Amino acid sequence: MSVHDLLKEYIETGRIKLDKSKHPELTTYHDPCNYGRKSERTFGHGYYEEPRWILQQCVDNFVDTYPTAVNNYCCGAGGGAWAMPYAEERIYYGRVKAKQIKDTGAEMLIAPCHNCRDQIMKSLRQEYDMMDLEVKYLWELVADSLVIEGVDE
Amino acid sequence: MQSEPLILDKRERRKLAGEFPDLCLTCGTCAGGCPVTGVDGMDMRKAVRLALLGLDQELIDSRFPWICTLCGRCEHGCPMSIDLLKMMRSARTHRERDKVPGVLHKGVEQCLKSGNNVGIPKEDYLFLLEDLGEELAEELPGFTVPVDKKGARILVTINSKEPFAEPEDMFFWWKIFYAAKESWTTTSENWEGVNWGLFTGDDDSMKEVVRRIVENYKKLECEYLLLPE
Repeated sequence: MSVHDLLKEYIETGRIKLDKSKHPELTTYHDPCNYGRKSERTFGHGYYEEPRWILQQCVDNFVDTYPTAVNNYCCGAGGGAWAMPYAEERIYYGRVKAKQIKDTGAEMLIAPCHNCRDQIMKSLRQEYDMMDLEVKYLWELVADSLVIEGVDE
Repeated sequence: MQSEPLILDKRERRKLAGEFPDLCLTCGTCAGGCPVTGVDGMDMRKAVRLALLGLDQELIDSRFPWICTLCGRCEHGCPMSIDLLKMMRSARTHRERDKVPGVLHKGVEQCLKSGNNVGIPKEDYLFLLEDLGEELAEELPGFTVPVDKKGARILVTINSKEPFAEPEDMFFWWKIFYAAKESWTTTSENWEGVNWGLFTGDDDSMKEVVRRIVENYKKLECEYLLLPE
């Protein structure tokens, strides 16, 4: 089961409640290759719509990148590159992703992949002067938006 | 030096070609859309030519199959729908294991040996889960981390990076499960959700890691398997 299917199920069936007022920031989304193109090629379905829908249950202010979805660019750290010694090439690769993110004007970026999140948060932000950008996992955004019965209410 | 003529109908001479690049029209769409075109004087179009012309070893020995992130944008754009990723990954497969760059192959070996890529011992892992569970219970009354819970609806694997370096990042999913009143479990052994054999082109190790996860899933009679990667 994909993380997107599960989160969508929780939201659609009302098993979790979310508060959009917690994240007023202009927010964009990064398409990981594995959930997009590779899932599409391997399983016949790319997860492009689901994460954007989940994101927009947490955030009103959404802006997409250009290009997007199946034509989106890799963060630069895929295929294990985050754990490889070719840091200079990995950062060079990421310049395209960094420009895409900057061009949206977003204050927050959501990534549903550990690898992409690390590359953008721990490397591209520093290398391409984007330290004001907040980076979260998709499930982190959901967790931070939760209204928990008996705890928050 | 005179080199042997390339005999293109002798398929066995080519390790990487096979069904993959024969259809290439040399249009360069792949290279045109790739952010690392030009690094080391290489690009995907040249990689296809090397494989097709029987210069497989040159590609295998080069850094390019590892600098390429296997993102698949080239493959998506390819008008002949050539399996470019399969070709690049097979170049990684043919690299001698002790020459796999960085820590990836060490991680694979570690995972086969200890059940996770960074070698966290079982006792330490279970102690950490219990400790973190107690910490989160201060915020979410009654919260505990279920381990090896038979009949749970969802079996959840863990990215070893989190217990190793960013343990509190596990709270995100735990909070969601708590809010959703989910029946879930993680496992005391073979809980690693990151399969580095995918990246090193090591199918045998990759399958073994998957087999162990499926074994846990069957043993615990769970309904769904969630790999939050």
